[in-house]
Amino acid sequence: MSAIEAVYIFDEHNNLLLSHTYTGRPSPPSVLLPLYLQHAAPRSSVLYFPSLNPSTVLYSIIQDNLLFFSPSSGTDSGEPLLVLEFLHRVADALEEFLGSPLLASKIAGNYDVVAQILAEIADAGVVCQGEANALRDVVETGPGVLNNLLGKVGLPGNASVPGLSGGGGSLGIGGSGGLQRPGSGISSLQPAQTAQGSAIPWRRSNVRHTSNELYVDIVETLSVTLAPSGRPLAAFAYGSIAFTSKVSGVPDLLLSLSTGGKGAGMGHRGDQLRSVMERTVFHPCVRLARWKSEGVLSFVPPDGRFALCGYEVDLLGADTPLTAGKNAYSSLGLPAGVEVTTGLGSSGNDFEVRLTQPSNSGAAGSAAAASLQSNLGGGGGLGSRPSSFRAGAAGSGDSKGPSLENLVVRVPLPTTVRNVTELRPSKGEAHWSPVDGCVEWKVAAKDFGPMGAVLRCTIQGPLAADGDDAGAVLNGLTATTYDYNDDEPSAYQAGEKDEKHSNGLSVPVSREAKVAKSRELMPTSATLSFGVKGWLASGLKVESLLLDNKKSRGLGQEVKPYKGVKYLTVSREGIEVRC
Amino acid sequence: MESLSRISSLLETARDLTLEASASLPSRRPIKPLPPVQIKKLLDSRSERDVLDGLRRVIAMQYAQPPQPTLTFFPAVLKTLSNPYPSTRPLVYNYLIHHAELDPDTALLSINTVQKSLSDHNPRVRAMALKTMAGIRVPVISQIVSLAIKKGVSDLSPLVRKAAALACVKCVRLDETTRPQVEEYLGVLLGDKQYYVAGAAVQAFVEVCGTDDKLEMIHPCYRRLCRMVVDMDEWGQLAWLRLGTVYARRCFPRRTKRTKRVQTREQHAKDFYEDLEPQEEAEQEAEYDEQEVMDPDLTLFLTSTQPLLQSRNSAVILAVAKAYLYLSPATYLQHAIGPLIALLRSPQDIQQVALHNIVQVCLAHPQHFVPYQRHFLLKSTEPSDIRGLKLEILTLIFPFCSKEIQNLVLAELEHFSRSPNPLLVRESVRAIGRCAQSPNVATSKRCMTLLLDQIHSTDHNLVGEAMEVIRHLIQRTPNEHRKTVVRLAKNLDHLTSPTARASIVWLVGEFAGQDIGEGVAADVLRILLKGYVGEEEGVRAQIVLLAAKVYLGWLNSRKNTNGNDGAVDGGNADTGLILSGVDDDGEDRGFREETAVSEIEKPQPIELLWQHTLLLARYTPSYHLRDRARLYRALLSTPSSTELASLLLLAPKPVPQAPSPSEARRNYLVGSASLIVGEGLGSVDSLPDWVEEGKEPDSGVRDEGEVRQEYGGKVEGAKEVSAGQRLDEVLATKKGKTLDAWLNDEEESGDGSGSEDATSDEATEGSSDEESEYESESDDDEQAGLVR
Repeated sequence: MSAIEAVYIFDEHNNLLLSHTYTGRPSPPSVLLPLYLQHAAPRSSVLYFPSLNPSTVLYSIIQDNLLFFSPSSGTDSGEPLLVLEFLHRVADALEEFLGSPLLASKIAGNYDVVAQILAEIADAGVVCQGEANALRDVVETGPGVLNNLLGKVGLPGNASVPGLSGGGGSLGIGGSGGLQRPGSGISSLQPAQTAQGSAIPWRRSNVRHTSNELYVDIVETLSVTLAPSGRPLAAFAYGSIAFTSKVSGVPDLLLSLSTGGKGAGMGHRGDQLRSVMERTVFHPCVRLARWKSEGVLSFVPPDGRFALCGYEVDLLGADTPLTAGKNAYSSLGLPAGVEVTTGLGSSGNDFEVRLTQPSNSGAAGSAAAASLQSNLGGGGGLGSRPSSFRAGAAGSGDSKGPSLENLVVRVPLPTTVRNVTELRPSKGEAHWSPVDGCVEWKVAAKDFGPMGAVLRCTIQGPLAADGDDAGAVLNGLTATTYDYNDDEPSAYQAGEKDEKHSNGLSVPVSREAKVAKSRELMPTSATLSFGVKGWLASGLKVESLLLDNKKSRGLGQEVKPYKGVKYLTVSREGIEVRC
Repeated sequence: MESLSRISSLLETARDLTLEASASLPSRRPIKPLPPVQIKKLLDSRSERDVLDGLRRVIAMQYAQPPQPTLTFFPAVLKTLSNPYPSTRPLVYNYLIHHAELDPDTALLSINTVQKSLSDHNPRVRAMALKTMAGIRVPVISQIVSLAIKKGVSDLSPLVRKAAALACVKCVRLDETTRPQVEEYLGVLLGDKQYYVAGAAVQAFVEVCGTDDKLEMIHPCYRRLCRMVVDMDEWGQLAWLRLGTVYARRCFPRRTKRTKRVQTREQHAKDFYEDLEPQEEAEQEAEYDEQEVMDPDLTLFLTSTQPLLQSRNSAVILAVAKAYLYLSPATYLQHAIGPLIALLRSPQDIQQVALHNIVQVCLAHPQHFVPYQRHFLLKSTEPSDIRGLKLEILTLIFPFCSKEIQNLVLAELEHFSRSPNPLLVRESVRAIGRCAQSPNVATSKRCMTLLLDQIHSTDHNLVGEAMEVIRHLIQRTPNEHRKTVVRLAKNLDHLTSPTARASIVWLVGEFAGQDIGEGVAADVLRILLKGYVGEEEGVRAQIVLLAAKVYLGWLNSRKNTNGNDGAVDGGNADTGLILSGVDDDGEDRGFREETAVSEIEKPQPIELLWQHTLLLARYTPSYHLRDRARLYRALLSTPSSTELASLLLLAPKPVPQAPSPSEARRNYLVGSASLIVGEGLGSVDSLPDWVEEGKEPDSGVRDEGEVRQEYGGKVEGAKEVSAGQRLDEVLATKKGKTLDAWLNDEEESGDGSGSEDATSDEATEGSSDEESEYESESDDDEQAGLVR
């Protein structure tokens, strides 16, 4: 009923990279791809091709420039979200084994691993294992560079089972000594779990790490919409907590977050937290009851990196009246704002984009100085984390000196704009790309101070704009009132005269007309992108991350894992102002 | 919905660069290809490393694009099965499954070896062998597979039992005749106490039997499955939700009881609008509310799935929402709304599907979505189909919003109607039109004003779209918009958009041609005829039509006045036209008098106009239009008989409907693919109706008997506890043991507690405690679990 029929993967040039058929006789990738490409560019993730026999619904996702297909034919068209989630899981699993980002060459070089992943993740089309980490128990990665890079993995059946081999299978899998791999000296640990399967479905069995590390990465993506007046209409931060656990044995962790003052007066701490973090979703490892009762995340993590939790924060607050004033934007505490003024200049074909720094922004202060001080920014990668996280010391060292980066303003222009003749940024670089039809303005974070920055553009409309049209336009504008007065029987006559009059080309085109003409060419929105390291729009903070030594297994009492925390707020064209 | 790769891409700024760099590199072949002879040599080698290397090469060749022939290696690959190296096993099995169909005879040679592995001491090896055996697509072996499943069903290890459950699906696909046996196995597996076995069994059951068949197999394990659903993996949860929804419809009759209506806030708002419509007779009814009376077992299903709303899997969230929508919209649906909104955070591909489903829920219950209006504000970066769906939701919730929010929505729509994107303009103008259909008079007036403002825009596209919507609105309630038509006519002087002009001309012909007398229409016609040459074809066609209507109206009125003792007063010509009530405002007077005067001076101006129109039309390049004109000329050639012409030209037009775009998809199920593609795909597109009262199976069938399972002669005490809880439990009892000891004990840990479910169906009564019992890991609850 909901079986996956096949998975096809294409590389960035739409060359077939891999096809794996689970069941049935699905349409081949060579047939599906042209049909898929026929659709216009932002392609729907669910497409229906009735012309094929059997008629096929094609599900597709794009991950890291790779295109994933899953066709579903005949009457069993499946559940769209199930198939799409499955494709995302496949991408995640491939990334777990082959490393991030997912590249075509990595897949082409590891077909044996990929084939096993695909076979394990769904059995004859029935999705049965979505947990990338648990796949580690069953996928044979073989000897090789990859294996050594990823660290030693408990391989199924590889282990000789001293205790059990007596009852030996006819094949003598036990005992006869497989390949002794580096690090498999710990084989005394392996048999029970390998035989039994991991007690925890999402965690691979038998985890061993020489250095024990725990990392919390909280990423918030902004989605803010501003009215032309600058008043925020909606402001959300979509947060995700990515957790990296490299701890031996079976650790039991407790992660407490604090709201940083928001949601005060909402009862105890857990209630506050839950009022700030709305519509949460969790990895299955999280104990929901603890979240409900205490507002803490208690879990036994999978090994490695995983998405622990997703949430969203309404930055305006749920009860903010819609008529909130203009200064509501600055109360959001965002490090930068953007304003657009259109219809400037003598003929109204200029517009101005102003990049501002709200007065009480959370990330205020000299960005340059901040980036020097920041103990979190800088290196960035997972490996280099100079700051060690001190439990319970939230707010002391982590959020100091957040650093703003990648400040970009994009102003999409209507397709009728022929050229942008002048681009005058007060700071940074701006250029117009006729292909995308938008002006992109990059400002280096160190140039961006409290004074803000201004970009002024002059645009040119289509060549055909002549006086005739303008005359008609002028008339259209003057007739702003449509309270037709029936008592004036001559209305039509008058109109007629007007028409005649304006049809003559001799009428000089007034400024008003020019403005009206160029109004069509003015941008209707502008978007702002940036990233801030070391700061969260929601104000959330990691209060503590505790490893429960009593509940955890396989980790010596004396071992204190190294803990790190990273905050990041990004706006990917997420702040949009209308004009 | 939470995808790690998505978060990674946010965290790693260097990622894009890497991707770009990789795009420019030739992507192929890090492994050097070897000639087949050498690969064979590798496969025949005695060293594990070489064999593995050979296998990897074979698999790579099999998957490489274009695929290289690998069938020749079949015997060599199968020979490696005799090697003692377990590491080669997965690859060999993979090869075997892939090639079995192409060369069934060779594949059969391997069956014996695989079968031997079925009794290996290592459960993983057993599970893998079972999986592989069932995967070999050679129908001859179906009985052997069936036997293997039978053995697997009673295996000690849950891993093998899970593999057995999944093998059931393959077995039936291989050979239909094994269905009775397989169903028997499934019956056993459904009752499994290990949650991931039960989850897989439910998946297999849905695959094998569908959701409509053999529901009697579900009865005995229904309650247990309800309680286990929290711990199943996401895919098992999905299958159970799907099955459970159908099961509930089939087994629990819909009982309602009438209660005094409780005034909730939404209903207040609703009443507010309903008051405006004449619904006095319904008033009495409205005092009472139909309230659902739910079977405790249905309540169990619904409450037990509630924690799943926090799943990271969007499909699970949607499946729960679907169950709530179709089983208990009044009580439970509201819990699912927030999580549905959360789906908007997911990647774009999922977001689009989610929005389709939200629209579907919104069509039925718009009031639930009012608090979330901010989530549906459009973004300029979104693709058009997502914007269209968001606009639709905004218009759906529009009538239920407060005035402030309505203002916001209208401002939003107005902003996007000025967008340079024509598609978006059309969508938003139509959305305004839908808002204008609100029963609240003031609101629809505001929308109308907004639309009329758009007419003055310089954007032809916008004007055309706005005019189209205005025309629809006028047609719906012509009497209220009499003056609007006149206003619009005035705009003809300067409007340039041909579609808009055509629309206005048509409106004038339809609503001003007769009612108000020849005045406006005739005058408009006169002016338009002067510019006829400069008009586009569509407008010309409308002008000819207008001329025909005006002329017909004139003929009719003349006939009437002639009949009425030749009263010469042309001004009262419209007395005979009683198409719809004429409200005699003073404003109309001016026209009538004016035309009356002109008519006396020039006896037949309208006839002259008509002749002139025909002449113009006759020399129009468009043959279509010439045909039209000829038709009208013939129709109106005899001034005395206008009945046929009246029938054709003055026929009342059907009121245009402008339903929400997704209204057409209303019959598709939430969560189905049909809903997304907007076409019935032949799959099950509806749920069964609620079972009739009295026809449902007795609730006693769901009582859990003393079903005890024997696995290989030993009770496997896997209880219905989550993995975490199990962990806690073990810790509680075996404090201070080393990990090794604990891991070795794992297998026996549950021995003593095999009978704990004997009384567990009593627990279904206290539904409020249920939830905490299933997923709580705290010590207190664990105690409770043990006591139970």
